[in-house]
Amino acid sequence: MNNKPASAARVGIGGPVGSGKTALVEQVIPRFARRGTRLAVITNDLVTKEDAERLKRSGLIDPERVVAVEAGACPHTVIREDPTLNLDAAELLELKFAPLDLVLLESGGDNLASTFSLELVDYWMFVIDVAGGGDIPRKRGPGVLQSDLLIINKSDLAPHVGVDLDLMIAEAEAVRGGKPVIVTNCHTGEGVDAIIDHVARDVLFDS
Amino acid sequence: MGDSSFPSGGFAFSWGLETLKTDGLVSDRSGVESFARSQLRWRWATADRLFLRRAADARDVVELAELDREVEVMTLARELRDGSRRAGRSLLRAHESMETPGVSAYRAAIADGSALGHLPVAQGLVWHGMGMTIDEIEAVSAYAMAAGIAQAAVRLALLGPLEAQSMLSILRKDMTEVLGQKPPVRPYAFTPAAEIAVMRHERGDARLFAN
Repeated sequence: MNNKPASAARVGIGGPVGSGKTALVEQVIPRFARRGTRLAVITNDLVTKEDAERLKRSGLIDPERVVAVEAGACPHTVIREDPTLNLDAAELLELKFAPLDLVLLESGGDNLASTFSLELVDYWMFVIDVAGGGDIPRKRGPGVLQSDLLIINKSDLAPHVGVDLDLMIAEAEAVRGGKPVIVTNCHTGEGVDAIIDHVARDVLFDS
Repeated sequence: MGDSSFPSGGFAFSWGLETLKTDGLVSDRSGVESFARSQLRWRWATADRLFLRRAADARDVVELAELDREVEVMTLARELRDGSRRAGRSLLRAHESMETPGVSAYRAAIADGSALGHLPVAQGLVWHGMGMTIDEIEAVSAYAMAAGIAQAAVRLALLGPLEAQSMLSILRKDMTEVLGQKPPVRPYAFTPAAEIAVMRHERGDARLFAN
């Protein structure tokens, strides 16, 4: 396995439960497909195989290219302290579907302190949502601060949950020291193209 | 090498305990201890231990691949086979980075499909490659198995963290006794409740763990 050709880029998608990580994956799959990016997905479902099954049934991607890796009740361990099972799954996908350009790793959902190990991914994004609270960026969790890309999802809900979206964005940008923040509505796909642009430019080098 | 924080994926496996809990067959400390003891005495001591020894003595990748096939055919439940291969490959991945002798060729054989990378075979190879004696290899393997079960039990809320440590210290007596006995000539295993639980796990809703 060490004599394989140049390996696919690995991109992590983390964030709290319910922030829209799986919806984001569903939005990016057809966009990557249209631009010819050869893709596979690993989900770290926490309790069931729900997310993997949802993607397999989505019709968006060959179900064989979606693999669930169990997290042993430790969603942070499997992406940070001990990412070997995810690395193993990525390697098997690469052997089976060579050549691959990109492997997406969707975390099972954790809290604001979760981060991806750079032994696992080349780049990672963190998904929060306005309904989770406009004060999340201010709390300066490691996920918000350290991710390569911060995504603020469910922008349409801001007026319904009393969140000042502009303030939330400004605070996110302030705590991240210039690293990018993107606002999305993964229900409609609004804002998702900008994520593809970032990944193409910073990870795939083929924008 | 037996440190539970060494990155080799062990945290994601319960080896049947998750389903035994869901089915109400293990619900407390004595149940977990019986489960761990049966895994030690009727699987590890009678099967894994032999594969560790043979892998440590193996002359080449062909012999390792033969051991893999033997583990494969004598492991009935699919998620036990998958779990053993996944855990083995994870251990090998870490040791390839550490340039442990013999690992690179074995991983190449796994990549081309001629070997499988089962856990006891991988453990025997890498720990022998690290210069450990067979006694040390066996002790670390047995302890890692018991510690993995103890940690899974804590995460399944079957044990408190101190109870887990106390259980491990009691199990050390079992390990000492087992390690003082001669291993059987041929490998075998008999842990029916755990194997049925692992088979039921494939279709169960409870999936915190890989088996």
